Amino acid sequence: MERVEAVRPADTVRPGDTRPPVLVAEDLTMSYRGWTALHGLSFALRPGHVMGFLGPNGAGKTTSIRILTTILRPTSGRYFVDGISSDRPAQIRPRIGVLPETLGLPNQITGIEYITYFARLYGRRGDDARSHGLAMLEMVGLRERGRSLIRAYSHGMRQRLGIARALVNDPVVLFLDEPTLGLDPRGQQELLALLRDIAHQRSTGIILCSHALSEVEGVCDDVVILSSGHVVATGSVAEVLTKARREGPRRTALRLHVPAATVGKATRLLEALPGVAAVSRGSNDRQLEVELAAGPDEPGADDHRSTNWVLDALVDADIQVLSFEVEGSRLQDAFMELTEGARS
Amino acid sequence: MTITEAEATTIGTPAERRATRGAWWVVFKQEAVELWVGGRAINLLILYSLLLGLMTFLLATNTELNLIPPKEMVFLTLLNTISFGVFIGMIVGADGISGERERGTLEVLLLTPASRRQLILGKLLASLTPWPAAFLISLPALIVVSQGDEVIGQALFLGATIGTALAIAFAGFGLLVSTWSNANKTSMFICLIVWLLLFMLTQLPGEVQKGDFGYFVQRINPMQATSEFMEKVLVNNRTFWERDEYLRSSVIAVVLVLFLLFVIAAPRLRLDAGRARRLRARWGSLSGMTLTVFLLFVLGAGPAMSLGRQLFQAEGWNLKVSLEETFLEVKTGDEVNFDTLLENNGSEDSPPVIMALNIIKLSGDVVDPEDWSPERTQHVDFVPAADQIRHSWTIEAILKGDYMVYLVAVPEPGEKASSHPISSPGLHLTVGAFQRLNPEGVLPVVIAVPLGVTLALLVLVRLRLRRLGQGVADASEDDDRVT
Repeated sequence: MERVEAVRPADTVRPGDTRPPVLVAEDLTMSYRGWTALHGLSFALRPGHVMGFLGPNGAGKTTSIRILTTILRPTSGRYFVDGISSDRPAQIRPRIGVLPETLGLPNQITGIEYITYFARLYGRRGDDARSHGLAMLEMVGLRERGRSLIRAYSHGMRQRLGIARALVNDPVVLFLDEPTLGLDPRGQQELLALLRDIAHQRSTGIILCSHALSEVEGVCDDVVILSSGHVVATGSVAEVLTKARREGPRRTALRLHVPAATVGKATRLLEALPGVAAVSRGSNDRQLEVELAAGPDEPGADDHRSTNWVLDALVDADIQVLSFEVEGSRLQDAFMELTEGARS
Repeated sequence: MTITEAEATTIGTPAERRATRGAWWVVFKQEAVELWVGGRAINLLILYSLLLGLMTFLLATNTELNLIPPKEMVFLTLLNTISFGVFIGMIVGADGISGERERGTLEVLLLTPASRRQLILGKLLASLTPWPAAFLISLPALIVVSQGDEVIGQALFLGATIGTALAIAFAGFGLLVSTWSNANKTSMFICLIVWLLLFMLTQLPGEVQKGDFGYFVQRINPMQATSEFMEKVLVNNRTFWERDEYLRSSVIAVVLVLFLLFVIAAPRLRLDAGRARRLRARWGSLSGMTLTVFLLFVLGAGPAMSLGRQLFQAEGWNLKVSLEETFLEVKTGDEVNFDTLLENNGSEDSPPVIMALNIIKLSGDVVDPEDWSPERTQHVDFVPAADQIRHSWTIEAILKGDYMVYLVAVPEPGEKASSHPISSPGLHLTVGAFQRLNPEGVLPVVIAVPLGVTLALLVLVRLRLRRLGQGVADASEDDDRVT
C-alpha cells in the first residue's frame, strides 16, 4: 500500500499542524476531448478541517469532487486519501463518504432501513449494521424519526439522512456538494453546526462545495477557489482574503447602515472628514458607501486608522451605527474579486 | 475517462474483501424490498392477473374457441403466462440502472465497496422475483383449463424450466439496456418495443410462420421458438428431444445476455451512460459479432444436413414421405393441420408425383374421406435431387373415434408401365367428444384466485406503509428487527 510521506502543499498546511493530511491532491488535471475542465488542482486537507470548494457555475467543482471520489479518472496528476494512492480506487472508496448534490432517496422505506442497507454494503452484518445505523441517525438528530418512511421527511431531514448515510462507513474524508441548498436559514445553521461537530469530534476531513459564501466563511478552515477550471486561490480564509486584497484594486471602502432619519446628517458629517474621498447612497435608503482616499503606502495600515476614524466620528455625533463593514473583509468580496475574470 | 470496474477491483485487505463478498445478497434483499414494498411488483402482478383472467375467460367461454382441446388450452394459457410473466421482469430490469441514474441514487451505490458485478447480480435476482409469483398466480387457470388432462404436469415442468430461462434472459436484457441508458423512458421504450416485436410474431397466423423465412424466424425468436416447442410437446405429443432445436434460441439468449451483462456491461458500469461513446462503438461491433455467431449457429444445422444428404445420396431418384406428427388428440369439431415432407434422396430429379391423403377408422366403421378433407390430393411436377418439398394438409375432425391418417406418393408411371407408390408413416388421430367448460362453475375461480392473492398482498403492503407513515416512532422500540 502506497503511503504519502511528506506531501505538503504550502498554501493549505500551516505551521504547528503536524497531523498527516487525510486528502492530498497533486496537480490534478481533467480534459474532455481537447477541453480542459480542471487545471492543476493541488491542496492538502488535514483531519478535522473543513475545506470549502468555491467557484462560479462551471468552474470545475463537481469535476474535482468526482475525481476525488473515484468516479472520474484524472487526465494527469494523482491524489491520496488517508495515504492511499488514486491508483487504488477500490481501497479509497471505503474511506470516503459522499453527499452528492442530487440526493436521491427511496421513498417507500424507513430511514433506519436505508442506513442499515448501506451499513451492510460496507460490510457490517445483522444487529451490528442496525445498531450502527441507529448511532448514525442519533448523530444527525434523526433517531426518533428512524422508523418513519423517508417520503415523510422534510428537505432538511433528507439532507441529514444523506449525511448519516455518508458517515456510515466512518470515512476519513467527507465530501458534501451543496448540502444546504434549499434549506431555510435555521436548517442551514443546524446543518453547518453538525458539520463542525463531525469534523471536530470524529477528526473527519470535510470538503464542502457551496455557493453560499457566508456559510463557507463561517464553517471552513480552508478554501479553494476555482474559476474556469483554474485554482485562483487556496489557503485559509484569512489568507485568501489577504490575497484578494493584495491583488485587487487599491480602493478602500466602507459599507455602513444608519437609521433612515440620520442618513443626511451622517452623509454631511462623513463628507467633511479628512481622508474620505466620496460618500454615496447604497442599495437602500439606510445604507451608505464611503470611499476612503487611498494612501501611497501599503493599504492595510491606512485602512485601519481611516476606518476607526470614521466610526469614531459617527459615535461622537450620536449617530446610531446599525452595521459596519469594510469592503474586502468578507469572503464574498474575495470571491467576486478573484473570479471576476471568469465572467469577462 | 471514468474509472471502470477493471481498474477499481483491486480490493486491498483480506478484511475488505470479506466485507464486500456478500454485497450482492445485500443488494438483492434491498432491491426486492423496494420492489415489493414499494408496490411496483404488486401493481404489475395485478395487471397481469387481470389480463390472464380475461384471456382465460375468453378462451373458455367463447363458443368457437372452447372447442379447443384441453391440451391446447393449457398450451395457450402457459404461453400467455410466460409471455406476460417475463415481461414484468424485463420492465423491472429496465428500471434497474437507468432508474437509479435518474433518481440520483446510482452515485452513492457506485461508491460503496460492492463491485459492479455484485450490484448487477443483486438487481438481476430482484427483478426475477415477480416471475415465480406470476407463475403461481397462473396455476389455478392452468389447472382449470386442463380439465383433468395429464398434460398439466408437463406444462408445469415446462413453465418452471423454460419460463425461468426466458425470465432470466428478458430481465437480463432489460438490465442490459438500462446500463446503456441515462433515461428510464428510453430503456423502458426499447424493452417494450423488443418484447412487442418478439411477442407479436407468436401471434401471426400459422401460414405466415411457414416457409424458409418463417421457420428461420421461428427458430431465432426465443419466444416464438418456445411457443413452437411447447405446442409440439403439449399438444402434438412430441418428446422434448424430438424438437430440441426450438430450445436453442432460448438457451443462447440466456447465455448471451448473461455474458453481455456480467462480462461486458457490468465491469464498465458508470455514472453517466451518455459519455461512453467508445464503449458504445465497441458494443456495436461486439453485438454484430455475437449476432453473426448466433445466426451461424442457428442456421448451421440446415446446410450441414443438406451436405450430409448429398454425400450419402443414392443413384437415380429415391422418394420418401414423412409426417411431422405421428399422434394427435383433438376434439370433435377441431381442424387438424399437419405437414408432410416429400424427400428425394437420389442423385436425379424425380418424375411428377401425386400425393394422396387417406383416412380410415381403426374400429372398423367406414369413413368417407371426402367429409374429412376438402383437398385430398396434391401434385408435384418433380422433386429435385437431394431436395425436399413440404406439403400442408387439413382435416376436419367431424366424428369421435380412433383414426389412422396416411399419405401415399404415387410417381407418374411411364407409358404402359406402372410405378411403385410410397406410403408415409401413419398419423394416429384420436378424436374426443365435444366438451364445454362450465363458465359459471369454474371460471370465477380462475379469475378470483389470482386477483385475491394479489389484492391480499396489496392490502398487507398498504397496512405496512400506513403503520410506518404515521410519523414519529418510539426510539425505545428501535431494537425491533428491520422487516
